[in-house]
Amino acid sequence: MNNDIFKIAFRFVGLLVIQVFVMDQINFLGFINPMIYILFIFLYPFNNNRLLFLILAFLLGLVMDTFQDTGGAHAAACVTLTIVRPYLLKLVYGESYVMKNIKVLTTGIDRILLFLCLCVIIHHLVFYSMIIFNMSQILELLQLTLSVGLATITVSLTILLLIKPRRS
Amino acid sequence: MQHIINFLIKYRNLLLYLFLFSIAVVFTIQSHEYHRTTFIHSTGNVTGEILESRKNIYEYFDLDQQNKYLSEENAKLRMRLLALGDTLLGSESILIFSDSLPYSVVPARVIKNDYDKLDNFITLDIGSNQNVEPDMGVITSNGIVGIIDVISKDYARVISVLNSQISLNAQIKGTSTIGSLTWDGADPYKMSLIDVPRLAQVKKGDTIITGQQSTTFPPDIEIGVVERAILVDNGSRYEIEVRLINDMTDLGYVYVVKNRDTEAIKIIDTLQTNE
Repeated sequence: MNNDIFKIAFRFVGLLVIQVFVMDQINFLGFINPMIYILFIFLYPFNNNRLLFLILAFLLGLVMDTFQDTGGAHAAACVTLTIVRPYLLKLVYGESYVMKNIKVLTTGIDRILLFLCLCVIIHHLVFYSMIIFNMSQILELLQLTLSVGLATITVSLTILLLIKPRRS
Repeated sequence: MQHIINFLIKYRNLLLYLFLFSIAVVFTIQSHEYHRTTFIHSTGNVTGEILESRKNIYEYFDLDQQNKYLSEENAKLRMRLLALGDTLLGSESILIFSDSLPYSVVPARVIKNDYDKLDNFITLDIGSNQNVEPDMGVITSNGIVGIIDVISKDYARVISVLNSQISLNAQIKGTSTIGSLTWDGADPYKMSLIDVPRLAQVKKGDTIITGQQSTTFPPDIEIGVVERAILVDNGSRYEIEVRLINDMTDLGYVYVVKNRDTEAIKIIDTLQTNE
């Protein structure tokens, strides 16, 4: 149990440091900065205290907002992703995912990719609707979601493959 | 009563979500408005220090370019100085007036710069300890950067000109035609000058400078070059596409400009006609 708390705290800080120091400086094609800090929400254990999870996600988003001066866009996207995560899990791993007591990292690569794509799409859609905040620019919203989302998925998948435990 | 408690317990996750989400939305709305009651900004002590240490690392990759900018600027200033020495009596005459200069300029380092969002902000490493105040203008040798927005002891946040909330007074060089300079959120190298009257003389290649009416920026700072002018609103007004001289995606050092007369002008502007 203690081990779990330590792991979660380490991920929280570690992902934020990587995000602020490395990912926000990439500026690929001038505007593409992958948002890998959402891996925190992605990797959070299945059997969790939902209230604590929501508050942690909110704090994570708020820290990102202070660094990027985005008001509350990251926070809004993070809590939305957190609240819909159980439904995504049901969709990807079937109804009985809670019983199986598995971890996201130990599942097959196809499941991980599918789950990751769904998470990224939802997070980025909410995030960029907050950033753009204008219904008339919906095309730009979709364009940003797609391009930045692809970058996020690529970088996140690389990180996941690196930390994924080898099957013995 | 029992029902209410049951309801609260049953939907506690959803209720907490809605609560947190609405807080986030309120913060977002505040960030899209041009006023200073925001709580979430990058000028806090911890945030500022982290951003500064990040800048310290990445600065090394940009030293060449910054060096070039500085030497270009030095050359420009030297040219002006030579011209000044020619017209005035000499360096003594500058010294006589030196304690009543109309603008005081403070150098600052950009520790965070955004240009990929609709409302962009820049963070500087100087704050109220260096006598920076909100509403002061920020410029570089190549043009304007933005207006100081939130300040703390050691850091200041600047509303970038690449912000949809900002609208600056600008003028076409050589004429008295004025307009408002705005940004539509698309290209960080281009802005548009709107509300220019139809009778104005506009040519491709004309220079846009800061206007005389602005108390934030000194007049006659070059901003950009006219690229295209189209008539809008049934041909009653021009909308002019301006290519910025300043590269907003590559900012190293900037200058914060304080106008000595801002207070006086403000008082005069708000005077009422009595009797």
